[in-house]
Parts: sequence; C-alpha cells; structure tokens
Amino acid sequence: MLGTRSRLIVALVVVSFGLAACGGGGGGTSATKAASARGPIKIWYSNNAEEVKWGKATVAAWNKDHASEQVTAEEIPAGKSSEEVIGASITAGNTPCLVFNTAPAAVPQFQKQGGLVALDSFSDGASYIQARTGPRADQYKSPDGKFYQMPWKTNPVMIFYNKDVFAKAGLDTKNPPLKTYDEFLASAKTLVAKGGVKAAIWPAPSSEFFQPWFDFYPLFIAQSGGKQLVENGEPQFAGPDGIAVAQFWKQLYDQGLAQRELYNGDAFGDKKAAMAIVGPWAIAVYGDKVKWGVVPVPTKDGKDPGQIQTFSDEKSSAMYSSCKNRSTAWDFLKFATSKDSDGKLLEMTGQMPMRTDVTTAYPAYFTSHPEYTIFAEQAARTVEVPNVPNSVEIWQTFRNAYSQAVIFGKADIQSAFNQAAEKVKTLAARS
Amino acid sequence: MATATQPQPPEVLPERAQPIAPPSRRSRRRLWPLLGLTTGAVVFLFPFYYMVIGALQSEPNSDLSGAFPNPANLTLRNFADIDGAINLARTLLNSGIFTGGALLTTLVLGLLAGYALARLEFRGRGMVFNAMLLILIVPFQLLMIPLYVMIVRGYGLADSYLGMILPFAVNATAVFIFRQFFLQLPKELFESARIDGASELKILTRIAIPLAKPAILTAVIVTFIGPWNEFLWPFLVTKRLDLQPLAVALANFISTVASRQANPFGAILAGAVVLAVPAVVLFLAFQRHFVASNLGSGIKG
Amino acid sequence: MTAIATPATRPPLRRRLLGRQPLGYLFVAPYVVFLAAIFAYPLGFAVYISFHDYFFAAPGAIVERPFVGLQNFTDALADPVFRRAMLNVVVFLIINVPLTVAVGLVLATALNAAIPFRAFFRASYFVPYVTASVAVIGVWLWLFNSDGLVNNLLGPLAPDPSWLVNSFWAMPVIALFATWKQLGFYILLYLAALQNIPKELYEAAEVDGAGPVRRFLAVTVPGVRPTTTLVVIAATITGANFFTEPYLLTGRGGPNGASVSPVLLMYTQGIEQGHAGYAAAIGVLLAIMVMAVSLVNRYLLERS
Repeated sequence: MLGTRSRLIVALVVVSFGLAACGGGGGGTSATKAASARGPIKIWYSNNAEEVKWGKATVAAWNKDHASEQVTAEEIPAGKSSEEVIGASITAGNTPCLVFNTAPAAVPQFQKQGGLVALDSFSDGASYIQARTGPRADQYKSPDGKFYQMPWKTNPVMIFYNKDVFAKAGLDTKNPPLKTYDEFLASAKTLVAKGGVKAAIWPAPSSEFFQPWFDFYPLFIAQSGGKQLVENGEPQFAGPDGIAVAQFWKQLYDQGLAQRELYNGDAFGDKKAAMAIVGPWAIAVYGDKVKWGVVPVPTKDGKDPGQIQTFSDEKSSAMYSSCKNRSTAWDFLKFATSKDSDGKLLEMTGQMPMRTDVTTAYPAYFTSHPEYTIFAEQAARTVEVPNVPNSVEIWQTFRNAYSQAVIFGKADIQSAFNQAAEKVKTLAARS
Repeated sequence: MATATQPQPPEVLPERAQPIAPPSRRSRRRLWPLLGLTTGAVVFLFPFYYMVIGALQSEPNSDLSGAFPNPANLTLRNFADIDGAINLARTLLNSGIFTGGALLTTLVLGLLAGYALARLEFRGRGMVFNAMLLILIVPFQLLMIPLYVMIVRGYGLADSYLGMILPFAVNATAVFIFRQFFLQLPKELFESARIDGASELKILTRIAIPLAKPAILTAVIVTFIGPWNEFLWPFLVTKRLDLQPLAVALANFISTVASRQANPFGAILAGAVVLAVPAVVLFLAFQRHFVASNLGSGIKG
Repeated sequence: MTAIATPATRPPLRRRLLGRQPLGYLFVAPYVVFLAAIFAYPLGFAVYISFHDYFFAAPGAIVERPFVGLQNFTDALADPVFRRAMLNVVVFLIINVPLTVAVGLVLATALNAAIPFRAFFRASYFVPYVTASVAVIGVWLWLFNSDGLVNNLLGPLAPDPSWLVNSFWAMPVIALFATWKQLGFYILLYLAALQNIPKELYEAAEVDGAGPVRRFLAVTVPGVRPTTTLVVIAATITGANFFTEPYLLTGRGGPNGASVSPVLLMYTQGIEQGHAGYAAAIGVLLAIMVMAVSLVNRYLLERS
C-alpha cells in the first residue's frame, strides 16, 4: 500500500546508500615515513585530578629540553568509559599520538580498527617494554606477538574496610576476619546488623561490561591462582573456581549484605557500605573522610597473603596510527616511563607504575607512605584481562550471565555460566 | 497529514476561548480544577524543588527531612564549587552560541519550509514532508557515527561551533509545528491576499508570520531545549574544553571529578539548576503570549 | 508572480509540471539541502552497513567487511535480548502515549483558563521537560530507592523487590518517568492549539445545555484533532527511541535486562562492542516498526 510518494522516498534512500558505499575511504599516514619523523605531538591523559598534575609536570619537563618537538597535552574527554571517545576518534582520524589511558580490554578492538601502532616497529620497542615491566609484560602482547600497548600503571584491586564501622560492630580492626569466604560472610552479617551500614560491601550491580573487574574477576584470579577469564581460547570461569566465587557473591546478595540497587555516588565514601573493592587510586578520594584499612581479596579456604593474586586494573599507553611524528612520540613515551617520571607518578597519584623494581627503586616514598607498601607488594602479583578478539563483547556476555544468575538469582549458576562459556569460546575464536 | 480544517469562525472577532457562567457558579466550579492543578503541580515540581534545595545545602541529606531543610544549613557554596570545577561563564556562553545558532537557522529556514509545505502547492511537496517524517522517526544513535565521520572527517569540522550546530540546524519538530499551524489558518486568508497581488514572500512575512506567534514561540522553546540540554553530540565533536557547552561539562563533571568535591551531590545539583534556569525563564517570558490571535481581522482586512 | 487570471482551458505546462506555486521549491530548498547533506547520507550509510559485517576503522586502514545479506537482521530477530527490548517498547508506548494525550489535553485546558497564579502553574508543569535528564534522574533514584520516599509512603504496599530492581515494575516506572518528563512539551503544543478554538463554539454548546465535561468532549477534543495527531506521533517516536532512562536510571537495562531498550542495545553493540553493522540492523528494524505504528495511528486518528 505504499503510495507513489513513499516509493520515491525509498528510492531516494536506496540511491543514497549506493553513493554512501563509495564513502569511507581517505588517506592515512604513510607508516614508514612517519616512523622516523620528528616534530610536535599531541597527547591525552586521563582526567583524574592527580594524573593531570603528573601529566602537566612531565610535559613541562620534556618541553623545556625539546624546543622543536613540543608536546601539547589535553585531558581525555570523559564519558562512562573512554572506549567510545577513542573509538570515535580513531574513526575520524583525529586521535592524538599517545593516549595515557588506554584500557587493555579495548586494545583488541582498536587494533582491529587499524588504530594502533605496533611498538615493536621501533628498534628498542619490545626490549624496552620487557626490561621495564618484566615477565608480566607478556600479558599485554597481542595474539600476533607484538606490543600494541605499553603497560603503564596498575591499581591492584584489594578490599578497603572502614575501621570505625568495624570497631562499632565489634570486629578486629588490625586483622579483620576477611580471609576465607565463610569468615567474610560472617563478618558481613555482623557489619550490617551492628555496624550501622546498609551493605557490607556494595559493588555496582549494573550491567556495564567492565563491572566484573570489580566484583567477580579479582576473586576469581585469587581463587584460581592467577587464571584469566579466557586462556588459550578456552573460557575458564565455568570451572569449580569460578562457580565457587559466583556462589560466594550470590550469598552476599541473597542475604542482603550487598545491594541489588545502584548507589548514586560512592557507597564506601558515604559510609553506606563497610567495605569497598578497589585500588589505591581511591585513597586520594577517601582521604580523611574514612579511616580505612586494606586487606587482600578473600579466597575460599584462605591463602597466605603473599600468594594471593588480584586484578590489575591496569592502564596502558598506546601510540595511535594517526600519529605523524612517531619517533618523537616513542621518545616521549620512554621519557614518561623513565625511573624519574615513574617516581613522580607514584608520588603524585599513589598508583603503581608497571616496573619490576617498584618496591626497591623508591625507598624514600615507601618510608614516608607505609600504607602504600601493601599495594606495591600486591602489584607484583596482578593478572590482566585476556587480550583476545571481541574482548568487550566477551565481558558483556559474561556480565549478562553473572547478573542473571548471581545478582538477581534468576538462573542456575552452572548452566548460565556454561551457556556464556560456549558463546565466549566462539567469540574468542572469531577474528 | 491532517487536512481537516478548524471549525470556521463566524464573522465576529473571537476572544479567548472561555466559557461564560454566572459569577457564583464560576468560582465554585473553579475550586475543583484548582485543587487538582495544585496537587499535580506539587507532584511535578517536587523533584525540581528537591534539586534546588539540594543545591543550596552544604551537607547532603538523603532522608525525608532533607526536603524541608534547616535554614542554617543553606549556602551558596555549591555554586562556587561548580564554578571552580567547570567555568560556568564560558560553558554557558558555548551553550548559548550552540543553541542560538540552531535557533536562528531553524526559524529562518523552518518558517520558509513550513509555509511552503502548508500553503504552496508544488509537485513533490508530499515527498518532502514524508522525508521529514522519516527523519523524525530515525533515532539519533543510528545516525550518530556515520554523521560523526561525515562531519569530522568529511567536512573537517571537529572542534568547531559549526560542527556542533550542523545536525541541529533545522529542527524537524519546529518545521512540523509551523506546517500544522499554517494549515490551521483559513485558506481564504491566503487566497484573498494572492488575489490582491501580494507576492508569496510578502504573504509570508506580512500576514502569516504575525499570526503565527504562538507557533513561533512554541517552536522557539522546543528548538531551544534540544541543543541546550544535548550532551552526546557536542561531546563527540569537541575535545577542546573551552568549546564545550554546559550540559557536556556537567556530565563530564558527574562521571569523573565529582567525588573530589566536599559535597559532590550539591555541586552537581547546583550545575543542573544553572542549566535549567535559562529555559524556565524563557518559557515564563513567552507563555504570556499564549492568548488567541485575532484571526477574524485577517479576513476582513 | 502569481497568475491573476487563469485561462479557462488546460493550465499551462509549467503549472502542470510544477504545481501552482513553484516558488515553493525555492522556499523549501535550503531545508531539503540540509536534509540531504546531514541526514540522507548517514541514513543511507546506516542502511548500507546493516547488510555488512561492518565496523568503523581508521582512515586508510585496510580491513575486511564482508557482505552478509540479511544475517544481521535474522540475528537480531532471533536474539532474545532484542525481542525483550521490543516488548519493552510496546509496554512503554501503551502506558506513555494514552497517558500523555489524556493528561496533556486536560492539563492544557485547565491551564488555559483564567485561574489565579496561572504563570506559576504553567511553569511547574513545564519545568521537568526543561531540566537535564542527568540531574533529575538522581532525584528519581532517591525517590524510588528501596527505602526511599515512595516506599515509605506506601508502607506495606511497597513491592518487593523494590521498583527499580523489580522485573515487572521497572518498565512502568521508566514509562512514568518519561511521561512526567515530557508532558510539558505536549502541554505546550496543546496550549498553542487551544488558542485557535473560537469562543463561540463553547458558547453555543453551553446554550445547548452542555456541562463542562460535555463541552470538553464535544468542542475541545475535536478542535485540537490535528495537534492530537502530532502529539501521538511525536510521543510514539520519542517513546520508541528511549535511551537515557535505561542508561542512567536502571543501570544499563536492569534488572537483568527487564528494562533494556532497542536504542540502548544499539549503543552497546555499535559503539561499545564495535558491531556497527548489527547495531544498524537493529536501528532499521526499530525504524520500520515505528513507521508502521505511526501509519496505523495516523489512519486511526484521521478518519473523520
């Protein structure tokens, strides 16, 4: 029943998409020429206040000595996650040379878009990265064996607890009973009953693909002794370790010790939750608001703290293909990750640079900030997200199954995880 | 679209459409609607009221008592905080330029198009109208990335006001409103003017537009709200902080640095109040004009 | 410019080809150029990529984007999340559209009368429309929290689990929120339309003995018919494209996907996960559905 006019419109649309098919091309930068070129470059860093301070200082120090290779720096435009901004920017071809806030989970996607430069293309690329970060660097290689990102800083995820609330509930504040799942659950019950908090711990129950990094994943890594979500193309989360972690969280939700509703703000900072599961960057936020202590994440039967591994919540720096002066960019990248700059990063932000020698290289800092030592030690035992194709979709698939089975209890954990594992396996195998 | 015409007015100057009744019945009859209106107004206004109260409090209070704050707790510090975090003056200016540009182009091009679609007969008129409907139907998220690629890569308009304004240049709803309104005006108005030898442009500017005041004011408000509150598009197109409109700066603030403030909730609400005030003021200024225009005089004159 | 004396025989060729006022082309040209330049290309492009395994790449990058025919569409129709999203749209529209039309017209009529503090009342209904979603959603989160104001008022009648984490209630709460937020716009449209109803019609009806309700139904409702069509279509379109509410209010379509919307899906699939082709297919399917619903609405409303 389409009239003449409607048919004409459909025709218009069809014609225009024919024309559109011709679009989408455009010249890129000649890679070989750019690799050795030098000149001014642009970089982005995150908009975390302390990192901005570090960024400005580092850029100023470089610019002082490099008059012809000036660096202009901007804060990355913010959003719920930076992937959309960088992805859109890659498509438009206006990414800066370096972005000091590239999430490892997004690297496979940016690589697929042709947006990243392999750092191995520089003569000392791979060797520099491996010398600085040590054996952990291998987790950041892409499936083709090259480095499309430089691991920069880590925020090992641990359990923060509110000492005042623990004291009020009658729990030990120096060595709180949070080692095994049973201990943790019992403490949680006491905290909600007597500590005056609405939740013992309040990870966000929303469905973003990155939320598992702050509830399921750190505990899974600890429990399984360092497994990633997917290893060698095989999903690992549906095995006994993954199920144990899921059941632990399910009990917290079922008993009302973790909330199923989003909290509008920071629950730990606002004293609505007794604990938080987060990394050392949060210290600057909590500051004097909360008297906090830190312990490693729990495992089912308890482990020696020196053995517990956790999620790294790492951020990398990457070089983007729109960069014209790559030699300068590489030199600046090395400058920003030198022992000096890393030291400044540690001092200004409290986040751990991905160096093998963090604890030994900066003794003065750790003497004056003993509360950070535990993070530095933990930083040596962190595990990253798997560098596989379709990584964002894999995490979303997992999150949907976790949300259904664990948070809202609408499905059986084992079957939901099995189903998700099948899908994840196909996704990881696709290119 | 709707071709049913309005009921034709008799040869009397119509005044405000107002039922007449004897005075005592009038005031009694008004009581019930007034009560209903007040209840409704309270319900509608409460979140906004809560927002304003929250913006004026120095400590966030999420209990029920927070709705009736202790006067000692009131402060303007949140406004100072948000101004320190995001430059209110600069972002307001950017919002103004963005919205003003869209308003200007919508009014000029939209009035022309709306009039043509309603009162000028030309072949293909229906097709243009259906194309406009199609545009209204398609969600922005579908077009967003190709649009972004086209404007930033193709036209090279990243980090510019023009790049921000372009997708909003002619608000389809406004054109719709103009067309509907011109359709409601009696046909004789235009026929008689044409017989008198007036050019279409003159008809448009001397006759149609002055009668269209309510429609224009409505369209101004509608066209204002879009770009003023728009977050996603300017966020994509501008990376430079000094070009960002207030809605974008506020959203960035919420998702990142808010937690560093002493009273983050209060600062956010303060920013939201600043964002909302110009729109409310605009509405208050315009709604006074929502009284009927003198339709009859156009025919007689 | 205009033909003053038309010939009694066949109209001239120019008029037959172009219509009575070809100046219309000139008036409408800038808008058409705008539509073509800003919307035709992205729309065409979006339809194009829905037939491919497409993702956006850096300029100059050489990537494979195979043609996959209707596969994106069949995948979407088979995806339970997509189907839930479409169901959510239907629930949303069923609640939102009739409520908007009825409450909007009644309120506009009330606000058109010479009541005291009219400006204040008009402003209070308009204010939610004007405030940015981001800010006002925080207040709603607080209101509908499990120990928020609404549950405190309802006492034992409060649903368990609470509103926003309840698979049954999440969508109605979103529909209610959206109706509340958008109503100001529709009241505005109706207010403008009410100015055109001549007083005489009300007077005539009153002379015939009609009470206020009867006058409303017999004079006001038919009198604003074109605007009602506009309101229904606009509400349908805006409703089908709802995105901010699941994005901000229910934590990305919670609980457990009960409030997922097609546009939210397009966002997560297209922009976060990089499956632009699949997202475009969802968008096309949604647009087709909205067009169908709008056509049905228009047909129903314009039968006079």
